[in-house]
Amino acid sequence: MSERVGVEVSEEVPPPEWGRRQPLGAVSPWIFVVVVGLLLLGRLVFAPYLTAPALQAWATIFVAICVQALPFLAFGVLLSAAITAFVPASFWTRALPRRPFLAVPVAGAAGAVLPGCECASVPVASGLMARGVTPAAALAFLLASPAINPVVIVATVVAFPGEPMMAVARFGASLTVAVVAGWVWLRFGRAGWLRIPSRPVGHGPKWRSFVEAMRHDFLHAGGFLVVGGATAATMNVVVPRAWLESVAGIPVVSVLVLALLAVILSICSEADAFVAASLTAFSPTAKLAFLVVGPMVDLKLIALQTGTFGRRFAARFIPLTFVLAVAVSMAAGEVLL
Amino acid sequence: MNRLTQSMILVLLGGAVLRITTVSTTYLNYVKPGFRPFLIAAGVVVLALGVIGLVQEWRGSDRDDSHTPGVAWLLTLPVFAIFLIAPPALGAFSAKSEEAQAKPVAAAYDALPAGTVHEMTIGEFVGRAWGESADSLVGQQVRLTGFAVPSEKKKDRWYLARIQIACCAADGVALKVAVLDADMPPENTWVEVVGTWRRPPSGRLEPGTVAPELTAASITPIPQPVEPYE
Repeated sequence: MSERVGVEVSEEVPPPEWGRRQPLGAVSPWIFVVVVGLLLLGRLVFAPYLTAPALQAWATIFVAICVQALPFLAFGVLLSAAITAFVPASFWTRALPRRPFLAVPVAGAAGAVLPGCECASVPVASGLMARGVTPAAALAFLLASPAINPVVIVATVVAFPGEPMMAVARFGASLTVAVVAGWVWLRFGRAGWLRIPSRPVGHGPKWRSFVEAMRHDFLHAGGFLVVGGATAATMNVVVPRAWLESVAGIPVVSVLVLALLAVILSICSEADAFVAASLTAFSPTAKLAFLVVGPMVDLKLIALQTGTFGRRFAARFIPLTFVLAVAVSMAAGEVLL
Repeated sequence: MNRLTQSMILVLLGGAVLRITTVSTTYLNYVKPGFRPFLIAAGVVVLALGVIGLVQEWRGSDRDDSHTPGVAWLLTLPVFAIFLIAPPALGAFSAKSEEAQAKPVAAAYDALPAGTVHEMTIGEFVGRAWGESADSLVGQQVRLTGFAVPSEKKKDRWYLARIQIACCAADGVALKVAVLDADMPPENTWVEVVGTWRRPPSGRLEPGTVAPELTAASITPIPQPVEPYE
């Protein structure tokens, strides 16, 4: 370190920073030092006072959402970085049908093989897009994979003993929504709405660009995950579930209420079936809506998608997915449950 | 935000995750025990990303300031929450509301052998009391572990409660048993209650309605279990 500083000084006198505004990048390590200082100071000074039950419950749920999502996010980011660094673009053109119209359902069905929750699927989908996969197909994958992978389907079967049709309906409805949403995006979506994330291209060996992509994606997606986790924890503590249950008996309203609850609670798709099963007052169709909407639209996903693909995209795609998910759940519930 | 800061944030986050999973059991306040290996793996990956970044920075091998938005700063928030608030396991605050109880998932229970005190989870007790197997509780002493929660509606009524989670604390649901014939310990105190099930006057309870009742024989305060959730 000291060596390098010495070289720079001898190269240019006066140093190039003179007379310029210090770029933010150079200051940020010092901000970091302040942050760590606050952390140490706060632990001694403030920690004894931060004991209000509501604050603690909020913090527990907030930390729980972040901690629980972390392994999935790390896995998703790793997979996404591996896709960009090690899988040549030509692989995807061979693996997926050339016509986008057919690539959408194939990509949606391929979601069944990625055993993760929704936090993993966002970085993977963005990695696929960066590798030249048709955005609509990557989006179908994004929506399908957290809902139809084997872990989630097994969890659903376990949570609803004696009601195997719930898992079947969940699989069918989720895949349908994913494919239809992909097709709608293919037909009506405009390229300008979707920001395909650019990746820092590392120079040198492949592992270098792999590490670079991972770190970039993790920092980016992780920050937005925290936004989603904080919002979901707030809703969890503030919104009393009691008044949700008061509408359980009303047919269409109860479906909408559980769909909104899925958005607010932001429960990992591998656990949401247990929560749905515990909502005994609601009809099977309403529970199905909870299971179909949750993995596709929730607060932490909204934050992640906005951060990854841009606000113009999120403002269009998220309402589209929500409406489709509710409509398909109602239809599937009518036919299957 | 430059690479040095990015790396330090990653080190801080990875370190915090490893701290709550390896040297303490704090992670059990947030997630199921089965998450531990995955959390350790993720913590190691994040820490490694940070350390690699620091090493590269140290060597000064490349100076490209890749544009990472300021949102990455937010990753320090969970670290702050972990170290400052040290969030405890969900307790009485989350179990207070008198909404209809969640219905336990499991359905069929075996008969209990006579003559011993049966240690069971509150989930199992509630499941037995509500379901077809209610008769299996007749005349049996059970030992339940949970924390004390006052009733919001009736004075002199309190519950032994425990939070059941499927994955993480965000999906927690409260399971409650009303304790009869005993004074309530201070709110949120962990206790072991030995007692017998009291058959409701109506004969049977509809699953997912009111909490089953337990006539207490003894109440022992205990420290919070390592695994606070069921």
